[in-house]
Amino acid sequence: MITGSECVNKTDEQIVVLTLKNQDYYLFLMKRYEAKLLNYILKISNISREDAEDILQEVFIKAYQNLNNFDLNFKFSNWIYSIAHNTTISAFRKKKVRPQTVSWEDKDLNNILESTLEAENRSLQKLTYKQILKIINQLPLKYKDVLILKFIEGKDYREISDILRKPMGTIATLINRAKKSLKQELKKEDIKLKKL
Amino acid sequence: MKNISNKVLKKIRDNNIKPKPRWYFITRNYFIWSIFGISIILGSFAFSMVLFIIKQLDWDIYHYIGEGFLKTVFISLPYFWLIFLILFTGVAYYNFIHTKRGYRFKFISILLISLIISIILGTGLYFNGFSERLENVFLEKIPYYNRLVYSREEQWMQPKRGLLAGTIIETGLPENNFILMDLDNNRWKIEAGKVIWKGKMTPATGLKIKLIGTLIDDNNFKAMEIRPWQGKGRFIMRGNQ
Repeated sequence: MITGSECVNKTDEQIVVLTLKNQDYYLFLMKRYEAKLLNYILKISNISREDAEDILQEVFIKAYQNLNNFDLNFKFSNWIYSIAHNTTISAFRKKKVRPQTVSWEDKDLNNILESTLEAENRSLQKLTYKQILKIINQLPLKYKDVLILKFIEGKDYREISDILRKPMGTIATLINRAKKSLKQELKKEDIKLKKL
Repeated sequence: MKNISNKVLKKIRDNNIKPKPRWYFITRNYFIWSIFGISIILGSFAFSMVLFIIKQLDWDIYHYIGEGFLKTVFISLPYFWLIFLILFTGVAYYNFIHTKRGYRFKFISILLISLIISIILGTGLYFNGFSERLENVFLEKIPYYNRLVYSREEQWMQPKRGLLAGTIIETGLPENNFILMDLDNNRWKIEAGKVIWKGKMTPATGLKIKLIGTLIDDNNFKAMEIRPWQGKGRFIMRGNQ
């Protein structure tokens, strides 16, 4: 029986190697990413928790089946995020899941807003939580995705490039456009409110 | 949520799910790289043919055809092979982005690199005489291939526009005239009294030539300039010297 303490000091990549010899180690790898990936899936897809959990199971099984394809020169976290991203998009396309309103934590919203708005526009942050959430969720998926990875998951450009399988230059452009788009939408909402 | 990891591990055990073997991914990677390489090579074949067709056409005769230079270029471009070049470059791009690190490169970089490799290899093949051999194979084996490309034959078989090509079958007529069998096997009497012969050649039976001149009637053609079938002819000779 493998104990959790055996894996505490091991890197993801070391656990991958151990998993290929003994599948029981996979449990510890999954536990490390369970919450993070579920959150990520929920945020990019806007689906119910139940649907997100189904997708997460699919992600873990896919990752396990493709473990021999994981290149130890890459980061495991980027690899599994990439699988989570593709599986979620694919479930969305197949309409296996239905969109719902998903709640975000205040700190996550603040992270995105602070990175998007300059000091003079901070007043926009007075918009209600619901209004901001609505705006973020209405952004095109490609924009929402990069904002979440950059400002909530805290990934750098190289990591986002590895997750979304796009060149770094494209990622930088997407982030800039996403910030611009969000800023515009927030301003519009603010103007609308002032007119009321 | 607590149980997701345990649930998945149980599923893996119950359904006896195993990681796909390493050789499967290695084979797949080799396959992707092979298709990339093959596409580049096929692209270079296509480019060598583009070069061959462009080089074999005479671009200085557009004013005889009565068209502008740009229109002549537009008519004469080897679209058949250009389409293949684009197609193979596309396939090379598609395979490259599916390699492990392919996605890290920009679309334009991959496209340009694939194209440049095809161009370099294709130029080498052209100078090696490969494209000429390939052209002959296509002409022999592929039905209607000659209709798909604007060939030298097509360019020079326009007697109404003053362009004619064929083989000399009889010489020694008065005023340096001779009899020519054109590429469509029609017999022509060629008036060549004041003709400019380009290239190191003398009129002789069996000589394949290109003629610029004026159509007199269905069987008579007045030549003003005669070139060897291959190339444009660099040395000028007058009369039947």
